[in-house]
Amino acid sequence: MARWLSLLGALARFSFGGARAAFRLPRAGQDVVARVTLNQVRFTAVHAIGLVVLLSGILSFLVISQAVRELGQIGATELIGTLIVVAIVRELGPLITALAIVGRSGTAIAAELATNTVMGEVRALEGMGIDPRQYLVLPRFIGAVASMFALLVLFDVVAITSGFAAAAYNDMTASRYAQIVLRSLSAHDVLLTVAKALALGLIIGILPSYFGLSVRRAATEVPVAVSRATVASIVGVFLCSALFVLLG
Amino acid sequence: MTAPLVFEEVPLNQRTRTAFTLALSAHQTVAVLGDEASGVDRLGGYVLGLEEPPAGRVLVFDTDLQSLSERDRLAFRRRVGYLPAGDGLLQNLTLRDNIALPLRFGSTASPREIDGRVNVMVAALRIGGVADRRPAQANEEECRRAALARAVAFDPSLLVLEQPFDGVTARVAAELLEVARGGETAEGARRAIFITGQEIPVVVQRRCDRLYRLTRAGSLELETV
Repeated sequence: MARWLSLLGALARFSFGGARAAFRLPRAGQDVVARVTLNQVRFTAVHAIGLVVLLSGILSFLVISQAVRELGQIGATELIGTLIVVAIVRELGPLITALAIVGRSGTAIAAELATNTVMGEVRALEGMGIDPRQYLVLPRFIGAVASMFALLVLFDVVAITSGFAAAAYNDMTASRYAQIVLRSLSAHDVLLTVAKALALGLIIGILPSYFGLSVRRAATEVPVAVSRATVASIVGVFLCSALFVLLG
Repeated sequence: MTAPLVFEEVPLNQRTRTAFTLALSAHQTVAVLGDEASGVDRLGGYVLGLEEPPAGRVLVFDTDLQSLSERDRLAFRRRVGYLPAGDGLLQNLTLRDNIALPLRFGSTASPREIDGRVNVMVAALRIGGVADRRPAQANEEECRRAALARAVAFDPSLLVLEQPFDGVTARVAAELLEVARGGETAEGARRAIFITGQEIPVVVQRRCDRLYRLTRAGSLELETV
C-alpha cells in the first residue's frame, strides 16, 4: 500500500512539474515542442488508424449482428441503439482504443525515454540547462492526449457505420438503424466520451514517460521499464474506466 | 577576479575518502585524469550540479549549485558549456538541430538568430557536409565536433569536457581544444576549460596549464606538463 501511495505521489510530482515546465517554454522551444508533438501524433494516431478501424469494425459488426439476431427473436431490436451507445461508444470504444495506444505507443514511449536515459541523452539535456520534461515528456503527453481523442472519434464513427452494415446484413433498413441509434445517443454520452478520452490520454501520456525516465544507466533496465509502464498503463486504463462508471 | 570553478574538500574516491581542493582560474585549461574506477567521471556531474558530492562543495562562479532550486540550477547551467562523455547527442535530431537545441530552449533569440549562430558553429567545427545527418549517420569525430559546437553554443566562459578526445586522433584533439579555448587573450585562453578523462593526447597535455592524475590512494597529483 505504501509503495502504491509513494508511486502515486511521485506521479503527481512528475505531472505537476511537467505542467509547470510547459509554461516556461521560450518561443523557439515552443516550435521544437510543436514539431516533436506532431511527430508523436503521426506515430500514435496516424499510424494506428488501420488498427483502430479494424478493431472497431470487427467488434461492432460482431456485437450488432448477434444483437439484431437475438434481440429480433424477442422483438427487442430497439435495444441495439442502447447496446451500441452504452456498450461500444461509451465503454468498449475508449477501453479498446486506449489499450491499442498503450500497446503501440505507450511501450514505444517508455522504451525511447529509457534508451535516452541509458545513452546519456537525458543527462546531456540537464547539463545544458534543458528540462527533460519540456523536450521529452511534454510533446509525448500532448501527443498521447490528442491521439487518444482523435482515435476514439474514429473508433466511434467506424463502430456506428459497421453496426449499420451488420444491421443491414440482418434485414434492418438504414433509416430504422439511424433512428434507433440517434434516439439512444445523448449529449451526455458525447461529453462522457470526450472526458474519457482526455483522462485516458493523460494516463497514456504520463505513465510510460515516468517509467521510461526512471531508469538509471544500465541497458538491462530498459525492458523492465517498458514492462512496468505497460502493466501500469493497462491497470490505469481499467481503473479509470471503472471510475467513470462509478461516477457516471 | 574570482575563480570560475573551485572544488573544496571534495572526496574523489568513495573508498579512501581523500578530499581534494582545486581552483580553476579564468583563462586556464586544467585536466584531471584517472582510471575509470577512480571517480574522475563524476567530476563533471559535480560541476554542473547533476550529482551531489559526498562531502565538501563545488563552487561555479562563486555559486554552490546544490543550494539552488531545480529551476535555478537549470538556468545556471546555461552559463557553463558541457560536453558529456559519449557526446550525449540526441539520436532523433540532426547534428544541426542538436547544436541549436540549447539555444532554442535556453535563450530568447529569434529562430533566425539561432540559425545564424548555428551556421557559425557548424563552419567553425567544419561539419557543414554532415550537419543535416543524424548522429547514427555520422562518424565519431563528426559527432564529437557537433557535441563541442553544442557545448560552446552560448559562448560560455567556463567549459566542462568529459572524455572529449576519446576515439579521435591527436591532430583532431588539438583542433578541438583550440575551438574550445575560443581564441587567445593576453592572459591565456578566452575560456576556462576543465577536462576530465582517462587519458588525453600529449599534444593536448602540452596546451594544459595544469594536469592532475589521480593516484591509487584517491588523491590528486600534479603532473608537470
